[in-house]
Amino acid sequence: MTPPGGWPTLPELAIDVTPTFVISTALATRDFQDVHHDRDKAVQRGSKDIFLNILTTTGLVQRFVTDWAGPDAFVRNVSIKLGVPCYAGETLTLSGEITAREGSEATVRVVGRNSLGDHVTGTVKVVLP
Amino acid sequence: MTAAIAGIGATEFSKDSGRSELRLAVEAVTAALADAGLKPSDVDGLVSFTMDSNAEIAVARELGVPELTFFSRINYGGGAACATVQQAAMAVATGTAEVVVCYRAFNERSGHRFGQFATAAATMPTSSGVDNSWSYPMGLGTPASTVAMVARRYMHEFGATSEDFGRVAVTMREHAATNPNAWFHGRPITLADHQSSRWITEPLHLLDCCQESDGAVAIVVTSVARARDLAQPAAVVSASAQGSSSDQYVMSSYYRDDIARLPEMGLVGRQLWRQAGFGPDEIDVAVLYDHFTPYVLIQLEELGFCGRGEAKEFIADGRIGLTGTLPLNPHGGQLGEAYIHGMNGIAEAVRQIRGSSVNQVRGVENVVVTAGTGVPTSGLVLTRDR
Amino acid sequence: MSATSGSSAETSAADRITAVADRLRAAGECTPRPARDPVNEPMINNWTEALGDRNPAYPAVAPPAMIQVWTMGGLHPERSEDDPLGGMVEILDATGYTSVVATNSEQTYHRHLKPGERLAVTSRLEEVVGPKQTALGEGWFVTTRSTWWSGDEPVGEMMFRVLKFKPKPATQASVPPMVSRDTAFFWDGTKLGELRIQKCAACGALRHPPGPMCPRCNALDPTHIVSSGLGEVYSYVVHHHPQVPGKQTPFVIALVELEEGVRMLGELLDVDPEQVKVGLPVRVRFVPSGEFALPAWEVR
Repeated sequence: MTPPGGWPTLPELAIDVTPTFVISTALATRDFQDVHHDRDKAVQRGSKDIFLNILTTTGLVQRFVTDWAGPDAFVRNVSIKLGVPCYAGETLTLSGEITAREGSEATVRVVGRNSLGDHVTGTVKVVLP
Repeated sequence: MTAAIAGIGATEFSKDSGRSELRLAVEAVTAALADAGLKPSDVDGLVSFTMDSNAEIAVARELGVPELTFFSRINYGGGAACATVQQAAMAVATGTAEVVVCYRAFNERSGHRFGQFATAAATMPTSSGVDNSWSYPMGLGTPASTVAMVARRYMHEFGATSEDFGRVAVTMREHAATNPNAWFHGRPITLADHQSSRWITEPLHLLDCCQESDGAVAIVVTSVARARDLAQPAAVVSASAQGSSSDQYVMSSYYRDDIARLPEMGLVGRQLWRQAGFGPDEIDVAVLYDHFTPYVLIQLEELGFCGRGEAKEFIADGRIGLTGTLPLNPHGGQLGEAYIHGMNGIAEAVRQIRGSSVNQVRGVENVVVTAGTGVPTSGLVLTRDR
Repeated sequence: MSATSGSSAETSAADRITAVADRLRAAGECTPRPARDPVNEPMINNWTEALGDRNPAYPAVAPPAMIQVWTMGGLHPERSEDDPLGGMVEILDATGYTSVVATNSEQTYHRHLKPGERLAVTSRLEEVVGPKQTALGEGWFVTTRSTWWSGDEPVGEMMFRVLKFKPKPATQASVPPMVSRDTAFFWDGTKLGELRIQKCAACGALRHPPGPMCPRCNALDPTHIVSSGLGEVYSYVVHHHPQVPGKQTPFVIALVELEEGVRMLGELLDVDPEQVKVGLPVRVRFVPSGEFALPAWEVR
């Protein structure tokens, strides 16, 4: 049941997607695909620049929810769909709202936008303390 | 009236002439002079399009024309066609020159094709280049797409349909089918063929667009008095006009109050009827510039053959066929015969006046001819010598 | 994106792809592939540092979203014989679908993982769908399902979908505008996200396209206003042929009448051409193109 006044909205998270951010997160997720660290190769393959890898986007969606839910929460599921790429130089702004709550588990709908549109849309199921 | 067309000449119309544009030019001029019964040494004036790649001096040199007292060029693409004859007529009328040849020669299919996206036109360091920067970078940079924008608005305002445009194409191909000089000789189309032809720029199908051609046409202009002594019956220039209207652009006059029309052609028409001393009712054959079908409908309205938005009804009952009350482009036009930037239409008008066309209309006294549409343009009324 | 039937030449490639997909799907779960390293604090710290995650629960436990990291193939990956994604990549590469992009990831975690645990992953091919026309080009969606194990205990699952596609030929840049001293203000504006309309300082007339002299009062004193960027489609075309630099055909170009009363051309983006009509409300959107930003429209 939806409480009166609706579910709370999570505080926004803006990520400055610098080239260093794209490359360091790609390597920290052990993703060595050249499009995530070599601009020339990325352009050759038809991209505008290097761009975030999906493991990082998954991690950022999780971080966005745990920043709000706190260290004792347990993220049970992260389901995401990628839209436009998130190139180096973009600002990725994550926003979200709780769409359902069942017992201690909340479902959070998350959207990550940049200047090109929606980079990621998805849901996170999190068990709150 | 002091000027007349005394000779016409052309090369074959093809998709690959296999020779230089200058050679095409001199072949057509030679043919036109022979048709008139004149020699190169009789020529003292040459007129062409700004777009033509053959300098007057090069044409004169090849032909062995000893002296030129008049040479002139008209701007704005196909809008120049009838104005070349107007320039020649004015030169003859003022005594500036006595025998002026108008020519247009190009390898428009095998060489530089006008139907392609013209990046060069958008990057000229001129006022025209700046004009084009409001359309070309946005992706609007082919003749078909610029016409399609007006056609869509015309359809919206007057309820015209793609089939209405198609009826023009079907009629032109029907006429070309019996013209051995036409590229589409023996190849008529149906309205169903038109409707199923691929999109070029919606709402224009492939068969709304004229062909691309290699070839050349030349027209010899002299005084009526001299023409009467030459080999062919004179086609008297009873009216000639140019027109550019308010807020005029080349192919993209989209900022006027009303874009579903061609006011520069209306301006040409008003001058033609005033000079000729009669109106559209006296016209026996119309040779209207048909690079794209929608502009044929709008020209019929601008020239006063019918009211605004009424062209679709005007053409629906076969009126523009060879046996109709206003036979249109008996040679098949640029949709059916060849795209020689409107000059082949002037030649057909002359044949209709002489009574020598393969698709001759009976009892022709007056023919109206128009030049390129969507650009500053021109027109002629040719009349049988009495 | 919409499905499309291929031509006969493509059908044989499609048949080969489908045959490999059927075989791999029938083979089911592949043999387990062990992680190079156990779950460990240094890698957790590298991850949290890079992603900026300050959750104090880490590195005593691993971030759940790291589950895939533990079994990544690394810089020099060796795929096992029966790895289903590897098998699909091979046939799709061979048939020209050489580029890859991840589209979906759905991860479920059963519990927190702690440093010292040794993981292995098994996966199976769930579905292969194609050929599909996508914004990136024609491609196939390959869906795999993976399970991570800590010993005999399943600790997490993932549905992972990638698009293997034939990249569209690289488009040239759009034709750059020819800018004069009279029109520079307009292009300076688009770079700043402003749609500028020339206004005569003497008589107040608005005008587009701009020029040096006011055609109404002949003043040589142009200034400009910033448009709301809102307008309606006055006319439009759908361009198919020939190819146009910087555009993917078919595309829509709209002549828009802005609220302020002037008309302007621009590409109408992200729209089904069938849905466009005269009167459609649109708003401006600026599209970077080389050194310039072009005005374009989107439906509002």
